Amino acid sequence: MSKIRFTALFAVFLVALTALVVAGCGGGSSSTSEESSASGGGGGEKLTVGSDIPYPPFEQGKPGNYTGFDVELMEAIGEKIGREVEFQDTSFETIFRDVGQGKFEAVASAATITPEREKEVAFSDPYYLSEQAILVKEGSEIKGLAELEGKTVGAQQGTTGLELGKEKANAGELRPYPEGPDAINALKAGTIEAVIIDAPVAQNAIEEEGGVEIAEKVPTEEEYGIAVAKDSTELLKEINQGLKEVISDGTYTTIFEKWFHLKPPKQFQG
Amino acid sequence: MSQFFNQYFNFNVMGEHFGEVLVGFLQNLLVFAVAAALALTWGLVLALLRQLPGKKPMPIRFVTIAYIDFFRAVPILIIILMISGGVPFLSFLPESVRIPRWFGRPDTFWYGVTALVIVYGAFTAEVYRAGIEAVPRGQMEAARSLGMSHFQAMRHVVVPQGVTKIPAPMLNELISLLKDTTLISVIALSESVLVSREVLSERLNSSALTLTAIFFVIIILPLARVVDKLIARQQLKITRGSHIEVA
Repeated sequence: MSKIRFTALFAVFLVALTALVVAGCGGGSSSTSEESSASGGGGGEKLTVGSDIPYPPFEQGKPGNYTGFDVELMEAIGEKIGREVEFQDTSFETIFRDVGQGKFEAVASAATITPEREKEVAFSDPYYLSEQAILVKEGSEIKGLAELEGKTVGAQQGTTGLELGKEKANAGELRPYPEGPDAINALKAGTIEAVIIDAPVAQNAIEEEGGVEIAEKVPTEEEYGIAVAKDSTELLKEINQGLKEVISDGTYTTIFEKWFHLKPPKQFQG
Repeated sequence: MSQFFNQYFNFNVMGEHFGEVLVGFLQNLLVFAVAAALALTWGLVLALLRQLPGKKPMPIRFVTIAYIDFFRAVPILIIILMISGGVPFLSFLPESVRIPRWFGRPDTFWYGVTALVIVYGAFTAEVYRAGIEAVPRGQMEAARSLGMSHFQAMRHVVVPQGVTKIPAPMLNELISLLKDTTLISVIALSESVLVSREVLSERLNSSALTLTAIFFVIIILPLARVVDKLIARQQLKITRGSHIEVA
């Protein structure tokens, strides 16, 4: 008797699970068909942009409603070149491989232009100049990069901050976190003593949550660029043109001031 | 296609980063060894608490069952993230517990071990329970009629017989425990998957991940064969007419 009831219960469970899966797939396929019909519309073809979200203030927000400096800048550029921009969340460590393979058309993800990366992808003109910050807990004894020796230091996997840590910090332990905010949380929890991260991200962490401060800003002569696959020369030209227009008409300054509460460097002022 | 092979089977990348990945993999094995020993002990404790007889320990049984159900249901990844993100803020604990650096291992190591023990304690408890319940009731009754207490009967009669019935399912749990040690990469413990992903971001090539997979296969395949052997041995006992074993 109880065996029959168990079997019946199990069957109901299986049916429910199948229904759920089918419904899920159905939803997915209908949304892709929408996308493809939109992209088939000719002139207003969507420009897909890969980005490792969240990385505030460059990229943040929820799927379908992403925002941040990179996002708004890309949208402004998209407007100039007549293409609607669609952001996709992805992982930074695979982002250049994926744009090369055509998973998305461009990368706007606070990505520094480096010679190694240029072997894999093509970069636009720089759209941002960056510094790395040594972020510490408020009142920490660590005053800069030189004092990280022997300390436990965090950074985000695959970033310039991690490279800087490897090359110059001589840390006791260097922990590569999957996401930048993970490292900042670990700093606040006290499990690590410093984080090496892009200065604007550090600034944002201070403004949003507090409890941490920048011990030192390290200029790295880093320039951020928008990456595309090597053979997308036409798209690259369009993006560069769009970027120029966005800078010259002052849209760049507006977006920059909104996200960084600072005036942009001279070459980016219209 | 050649791109695929270059991406995952680039032997140059595997060769150049072999040492790093191996060191990472040893970290996995170390986490596994510590977590397995503790989880097997903790699981037995849970199973025994669950089997306490009579009315008085009812609340203990209830809490134990709730614990086992809860931690079998929650994804381990979430437990790992909650422990590493939460424990450091429990200010009533001394700092050496909040941020444990015991035996020269980093705190992330101990957060990971703790999470795995909490969760796998619940899983192994269920395996122990199956073993204990497979021991015929008469064994416990006979032991009690000889004047043993419930605990003595468990200790000397039931558990020793029960554990002989469960090596195969227990090994399965241990195999998945070994694989789940890679989840600790999410809190930045330098184990093999994290190291491989570092290589990936440096070289833009995934072959180090393939190498990690090979390491796991090399360790786990023999274990899987041992499980097969154990099951076959149990089957043989049944066909010989010994009493029916647990599935």
